[in-house]
Amino acid sequence: MTRADRVVVILAVALLPFLYMTYWGPSQQGDALRVMVNGKETMTVSLHADKHITVHGSLGDSVIDVDQGKARFISSPCRGKQCVHTGWLGQGGEFAACLPNRVSIAVIAEEQRYDSIVF
Amino acid sequence: MTFPDKTPRGWILLLMLLFLNACDIQQAQLHQQQFLLFGTLVDISLWSDDKQKTENAIAQITTDLEKMHNEWHAWHDSPLTRLNKALAAGQPGTVPPSMIPLLQKSIALSNASDGLFNPAIGRLINLWGFQQDDAPSNTPPDAARIQDLTTAQPKMQDLVLAHDQLTSRNPNVQLDFGAIAKGYAVDLAIEKLRALGIHNAIINAGGNLRAIGKHGDRPWRIGIRNPRGPGVLASIEARGDESMLTSGDYERFFEYQGKRYHHIIDPRTGYPARGFTSVTVIYPDAATADAASTALFVAGPQHWRDIAKKMGLQYIMIVDDKGHVTMTPAMAERVRFELNPAPNFSIVALP
Repeated sequence: MTRADRVVVILAVALLPFLYMTYWGPSQQGDALRVMVNGKETMTVSLHADKHITVHGSLGDSVIDVDQGKARFISSPCRGKQCVHTGWLGQGGEFAACLPNRVSIAVIAEEQRYDSIVF
Repeated sequence: MTFPDKTPRGWILLLMLLFLNACDIQQAQLHQQQFLLFGTLVDISLWSDDKQKTENAIAQITTDLEKMHNEWHAWHDSPLTRLNKALAAGQPGTVPPSMIPLLQKSIALSNASDGLFNPAIGRLINLWGFQQDDAPSNTPPDAARIQDLTTAQPKMQDLVLAHDQLTSRNPNVQLDFGAIAKGYAVDLAIEKLRALGIHNAIINAGGNLRAIGKHGDRPWRIGIRNPRGPGVLASIEARGDESMLTSGDYERFFEYQGKRYHHIIDPRTGYPARGFTSVTVIYPDAATADAASTALFVAGPQHWRDIAKKMGLQYIMIVDDKGHVTMTPAMAERVRFELNPAPNFSIVALP
């Protein structure tokens, strides 16, 4: 076995856990959260730094909670609070929207588990 | 140079070879954008290697959807509200060209569903407060008024279309295309994408979804929302060109004295349909899937199988108000539950 052969073998073995996680892992947890107001992207934030985000929509402020790789609406100035009822989002492709306030959030992942969600 | 070359130049070459794949900028890729259109969230995903073509297609589709939304709007001033005014006055009304095929399709689907999909009950939907931009009020309407509108039996068969002139034999008919318009709009948008040379795409207008082609070398993966609680209930891989639609009691609703009143009104009783929390249908076109998911929701536990057979449906998944899942055999073959633990389910064949 030459030195190059050994390098190839070591690289291949080192790649295995990564390939396993990518293609056979149980789920594709999101990396980032895309926040849109009025149909326009206003910011993309990491899901791995906990924070509260206040977004100014057309009715007032919607507050989004980012906590340990997940995100949710915790308050919004709408009457129905459908956005708050949607609960936690964590996997690539999941999203929630406060239509009256025209604020929506979507989870972005390197490889999305779902290309789109029927709701 | 012999290989393996032990000089630094050899190692650099090896590393460059490893990263060569990542530098291929001509690769097809996913273009995904979300818009607030049609009074809902519209999610467009295109798989394409031509950025210019993609951007052009998305711009055209969003313009088209906006136009359809404005023409078919059931409570903002629109060609539809003007048509409804004429029908209520017992006068003939003008149907704009974009609405004629939508109207014809609605009449056919209403017939096929034994009138359970009934876009003529605009007055009932309005009475329940589901024809407004804000959330509906928190109390059900007066029972006597519901009774009046139900007894009047507005139905699509009351309508007569001659060229672009529509008349109604029943002045209580008020059209509301809420249970079909988004599906039909998605069908037109997919048609437009194809005409623009895009053959791999998903258009999802507020949960009214149609997929064509693939995501690169794998099928499109569609999630179906959990009707109670967060997350995704199940996933399904799309096969070429097909539509997936869900009607659910969580889309628009209010609660009164601990009971949920949602927007899917049973035209026979005048009250929100009971028994199911969500009905998912897969069908080639989105307009039919949209109307069918509503019709099955209204049909309820006793009659959904008969209506499904009548409408020629094959793929159905229903979640009832106890969380139990019922699927047709064809659907069961394709569904993968994503909840852990998976819900209790049964497989029921159509008659």
